[in-house]
Amino acid sequence: MLDFLQMILSGIAVGSSYALMGMAMVLIYKTSEVPNFAQGEMGLLCAYFTYMLLDGFGVALEIAIPLTLAVAFALGAVLEFAVLRRAKNPSVLSMIVITIGMEMVLLGLVSWKFGADQKTLPFPISPYDSVALGDIYISSLELLTLGIALMLMIGLFIFLRTTRLGMAMKATQQNFNAAKLMGIRTHRIMMLTWGISAVVGCIAALLIAPTIMHPYMMWDPLLKGFAAAVMGGMTSLPGAIAAAYLLGIIENLFGGYVSIEFKAVVAFAIIVLILCVKPSGLFARHYVKKV
Amino acid sequence: MDLKQHYYEDVSLFSSATIVFWFTALALFLALFPLVVKNYYIYLANYIAINIIIVLGLNLLVGFTGQISLGHAGFVAIGAYGTIILMTKVHLPFLPALLAAALIAALFGFLLGLPALRLEGPYLSIATLGFGLTITQIIGRMDLFGGREGLHAPALTIGAWHLDTDVDFYYLLIPLTGLLTLAARNLTRTQVGRAFIAIRDADIAAETMGVNLLYYKTLAFSVSAFYAGIGGGMYAFVLRFVEPEIFTLMMSIMFLAMVVVGGLGSIMGAIAGATLLSWLDLQLRNILDIPYLGDWLTALSQSYFSITGVSNIQFIVFGMIMILIMLFEPLGIYGIWLRTKIYWRTWPF
Amino acid sequence: MREKFSGIWRIVAVVCLLIPAAVLAEEGVTDSEIHIGQWGPQTGPAAAWGSVARGTDAYFKMINAQGGIHGRKLIHHMFDDGYNPAKTKAGVKELQEGTGMFAWVSGVGTSPGMAVKEYLMERKIPWVGPSAGSLQWITPPQKYLFAVYPLYAMEARTLVRHAVKQMGLQRVAVAYQNDEYGKNGLRGAQEELQKHGLALVAEVPVEVKDTDMKPHVMKLRKSNADMVLLWTSVSHAVRIVGVSKAMKFAPQFMSTSTCSDFPLMMHISKGLWEGVICATFGELPDSQKALLQTYRKDAYEAFAAKDERWGLFFYAGIIFAEPLVEAIKRCGPELTREKLVQELEGLQDFRGIGPTVSYKPFDINDPMSRQGTQETMLVQCLADGKAKNLTGWIVMSE
Repeated sequence: MLDFLQMILSGIAVGSSYALMGMAMVLIYKTSEVPNFAQGEMGLLCAYFTYMLLDGFGVALEIAIPLTLAVAFALGAVLEFAVLRRAKNPSVLSMIVITIGMEMVLLGLVSWKFGADQKTLPFPISPYDSVALGDIYISSLELLTLGIALMLMIGLFIFLRTTRLGMAMKATQQNFNAAKLMGIRTHRIMMLTWGISAVVGCIAALLIAPTIMHPYMMWDPLLKGFAAAVMGGMTSLPGAIAAAYLLGIIENLFGGYVSIEFKAVVAFAIIVLILCVKPSGLFARHYVKKV
Repeated sequence: MDLKQHYYEDVSLFSSATIVFWFTALALFLALFPLVVKNYYIYLANYIAINIIIVLGLNLLVGFTGQISLGHAGFVAIGAYGTIILMTKVHLPFLPALLAAALIAALFGFLLGLPALRLEGPYLSIATLGFGLTITQIIGRMDLFGGREGLHAPALTIGAWHLDTDVDFYYLLIPLTGLLTLAARNLTRTQVGRAFIAIRDADIAAETMGVNLLYYKTLAFSVSAFYAGIGGGMYAFVLRFVEPEIFTLMMSIMFLAMVVVGGLGSIMGAIAGATLLSWLDLQLRNILDIPYLGDWLTALSQSYFSITGVSNIQFIVFGMIMILIMLFEPLGIYGIWLRTKIYWRTWPF
Repeated sequence: MREKFSGIWRIVAVVCLLIPAAVLAEEGVTDSEIHIGQWGPQTGPAAAWGSVARGTDAYFKMINAQGGIHGRKLIHHMFDDGYNPAKTKAGVKELQEGTGMFAWVSGVGTSPGMAVKEYLMERKIPWVGPSAGSLQWITPPQKYLFAVYPLYAMEARTLVRHAVKQMGLQRVAVAYQNDEYGKNGLRGAQEELQKHGLALVAEVPVEVKDTDMKPHVMKLRKSNADMVLLWTSVSHAVRIVGVSKAMKFAPQFMSTSTCSDFPLMMHISKGLWEGVICATFGELPDSQKALLQTYRKDAYEAFAAKDERWGLFFYAGIIFAEPLVEAIKRCGPELTREKLVQELEGLQDFRGIGPTVSYKPFDINDPMSRQGTQETMLVQCLADGKAKNLTGWIVMSE
């Protein structure tokens, strides 16, 4: 029983970083219908930027983090403005290819600048100190990740529901042309969405970096986050979050009780099964395409 | 472009004598090529030819049928492992083993095609991606496949022909590539190919017109996987050694990039894309040896980046090519070719 | 007419004289140069191993600065293969057939190496010191392939023996990377325990793709092991030690030479690596051994890029190349491949900054004729990233 509870808790802990990446992907997908494969590398760049500020320039953490978040926002907005908006004839496939291209460029830049040696981000909250609830444990950093994920979730929910900008984003997502006719500057909305999404992805990367940093550190969170987003329905923010936690828990239970060797890929097998039954994911209404 | 006045003009293999001439020239060039160049270039040609085979198949799926696959390395792995296992364990000769392995890959393609019936866009990409990752995991787990320690390819003979060198292999591979190219080209001009294109453009509309989606979508996946299986079987003999970690997600992404850069829905594009990107993939490691540019990059690394990571420039070049092609010429190299052709045909107007 | 004829004959005569001269000189060797090739991943997920090739490069430059070997400079051709065997094969062929390499040195990774092994061996091109402790180099042994890297299974046996005999730890568990590298370590541990009448209390596979180590640590903790042997990559080892601390599980950790770069390990584990015992294949970065200090000054400080780190992987590139350089020196001015092989076979207890290296005349039935070293050293990580030498160089016997 204790084991079971520990697995559930570990699943929730790891699910938080999937949830952050999933949220970031859903935000972008909702407005521009692009599965953003560069999301992980955008976060990677920001994490290394923080590392550079802290380690190279000796900037204090309290200054470095807001600065990084600002850079993340700018990065997202610039990529949307300079690259994605320029695409002629944007089909889903060409968008995927463009984001994979951006991913390679960002990965190349980071590895070029910082080399391949493993590093860690100096961070006051340790990934290896833990909080014990009886005999089950969660590390301080995971607790922080969980807290931030929950806060962002609620924050984004309120933001999308109540603010003018949030409403405009929803409108853009629902019908791009109609929103434009209603006087919404849809391109600007898209740019802002990319910025916000980049910030969410950057937070995810910053919370992974204190454990270990190397140029490929975001691949696994990105793929799992993407898997969670798809499982949740790709357009539903709460869906992606719920699916992310579900994936984390399933992975841990599977690793604990069935096979630890297949733990890393069980998420994808489950996804294929779920998609066979519910092609639009667990939480999205099935979208009926018109000819 | 040209006005076609008769059905047979549409289905004829060569539309004019000039084309026959150029194809003969090409065939001659390919036949004589190994006699004049170093062994390394023959290896390069073999590597490119294998990628052409795989990309032709992927283009049938992505470019013609409009389905995405981020797991094609999985089919390549099935082809490679299947061929070796059938040869060493079942003692089949090479060609039947290759064919059987490709058919196994096609069967997996069919199975993957079933969920794909209801999936599109990001849903399909994650499903195929998951397939690619899972299949190598399973292969690595099973001792029959040599586990993670990999398998050695046996000696290659066809009848009395011992294929020991790259040149021998070249003379097997190039005709095979030609044959598969021809098959792909013909397939796209039959009812099947037209059905694929109809599905790509609007699958519901295609269905209402009587295109059986179940049949044609799974067929597209199977044919595509078949090509990947053949490519994989050949790949095993170019490397002469396979292990699961070779068939990574990066490999699948490269195949997709080749399709897109070459030109979606074009046979010539697939060939051009596979050639260009495989060549770049192998040659970009020498980027620092290019005069001037190399020196400039080294200086840049010293002052702003790092020397130890300088080889990563190849990722940047690769990524930029993918982005720029998509932004400025969505039809890829094939699109550029078309535009150049039209420009000169209509010149000076 | 006569004039013309004699002209042609003269040319023919000159050509005939030139041909034997060209045949006599070994490929890749001229009067002033020896060409040596090497691959190593500078990009991709294995790029942390890229410093091996850069270490060899600095080492060769040092030798050249000191005047080369018998008046010849070592020309080092290294290329990036991104740990992709297809690229390794392409690069090796290009260099071998284009420039012509006299020999190959090091080369990171089992699968890139396996892709070119046959090619090099068929052409009788010597290859010294592949940098992966694989059994595949010596099963069966190849006449022209000289392994330097200690065998993982042997390392594991030595570590386990130390734990059981010296430290009295009986409950041994292994966390191993689920590939050839990890499985060799697992096998070594199993064999050694069997000799002592013990068995592993847990064996936990770690996938390369995995990042979350909690389920693995739970399994280890449940086994109640008092010694955990980590046969994984650097990042996984650090994560396992960290998660164990978070879960209040504190066995004695031991690990492979791959994780024995203590300053790096201490840095990325934020100090948790303290107390871990590792096998190692080289002197330690802060060792006062004169030769190592010379290398540091004349090779690293003089020739390495300024962002290079003086770490184990960097001078591993020197360790793997030392036997080759020594053998070339011993060959004297007449350098041929056959002679090189003879001189390599003649190496007995040769010591540079790594373990002693000895080979034997080629015997297809004796893998050890091509396995250079059977030595290892056990070291324990101290609080400041320095190492405590536990055993000195010891021979890993059966």
